[in-house]
Amino acid sequence: MSMSTVSLMEKIKNIIRGHSLWMLHYCTGCGAMELPPTMTARFDMERLGFAPMATPRQADILLVTGYLSVKTLRRLIYTYEQMQDPKWVVGFGSCTINGGIYYDSYATIKRLDLYLPVDLYIAGCMPRPEAVINGFKKLMDMIKSGEANGWKKYKENLEWYRANQRKILGDSLYVTR
Amino acid sequence: MKEQELIDLIEKHVKYEEGSIEVYAPRKLKFILKKDDLVDTLLFLKRNGFVQLSFITCVDWIKDNKFELVYGLVSWEHKLTVLVKTFIDRDNPKMISIMDIWPTAKYYEQEINEFFGVYFEGNPNMSKELILENWDSMPPLRKDFDPQSYSNEKFEIRIYDYKMEDKKKK
Repeated sequence: MSMSTVSLMEKIKNIIRGHSLWMLHYCTGCGAMELPPTMTARFDMERLGFAPMATPRQADILLVTGYLSVKTLRRLIYTYEQMQDPKWVVGFGSCTINGGIYYDSYATIKRLDLYLPVDLYIAGCMPRPEAVINGFKKLMDMIKSGEANGWKKYKENLEWYRANQRKILGDSLYVTR
Repeated sequence: MKEQELIDLIEKHVKYEEGSIEVYAPRKLKFILKKDDLVDTLLFLKRNGFVQLSFITCVDWIKDNKFELVYGLVSWEHKLTVLVKTFIDRDNPKMISIMDIWPTAKYYEQEINEFFGVYFEGNPNMSKELILENWDSMPPLRKDFDPQSYSNEKFEIRIYDYKMEDKKKK
């Protein structure tokens, strides 16, 4: 959906959405270590309007902290699809961008944006809490201006995402074990 | 029990064909046995206080064309740690499961089967997957497996177009 077709109501909704965001931190890798200082008294993320949330169904942001193995990717896709619209994905650390130090691993994926629509990457290995807060502030501005619409792109290009997912996971996305 | 007492006990009761016992650190012993003597020795050790199986692991000696299986046992009674080792052939590797002695061995053996391809006879979990899902290549912890080429083939890499960036700046 391009910017021109966004209705006035949608624009107003975006501004309201951008003020309070609940974040589901999917702690796969070592990046999770930087989140406790970000959340707690020293850096206090909550003063900017971000709060941690325990369940996918009530969260707005999916924060993927660090590397993703093939096995975790399947669970991550389930988690993402459980979340209610609107939803945003933040890739955290260099592992989600290009594999990071796990570039030659037989078990980890290298690019998260092939499988899920990533709205924002926070680079670094690991990003400091200042970088995390800076990234979230940017995401907030992107939501308010309507740039962050990965969840719409996921719906529109579902076939492309499914093809990429199937290339790695086979048919196991639809198999219960 | 002192280290020497255990060595005497083992040598008295277990009739193994070839092998050696070594004290490689205080209160830590190392046995290298033939494949066929291994189960008897483990059974004997369990009856004599070594009730805990800490781990089973595998080492790939590719130049000798051998796999080394290492069984780590702990005795709380004697305050001793024992490593029981055996070498098996690298081509078509097979070993007898010790599930009947320690039931926890089921998952250790399943993991070794997944990562090294050693088949444990008598273990019902051999064809099930434990850690790797949808694995389509040779067992990944063998030394002749090349993780870099597998990774490049299977997972798409991000290609950075530096020329585009330069054009944008101009």
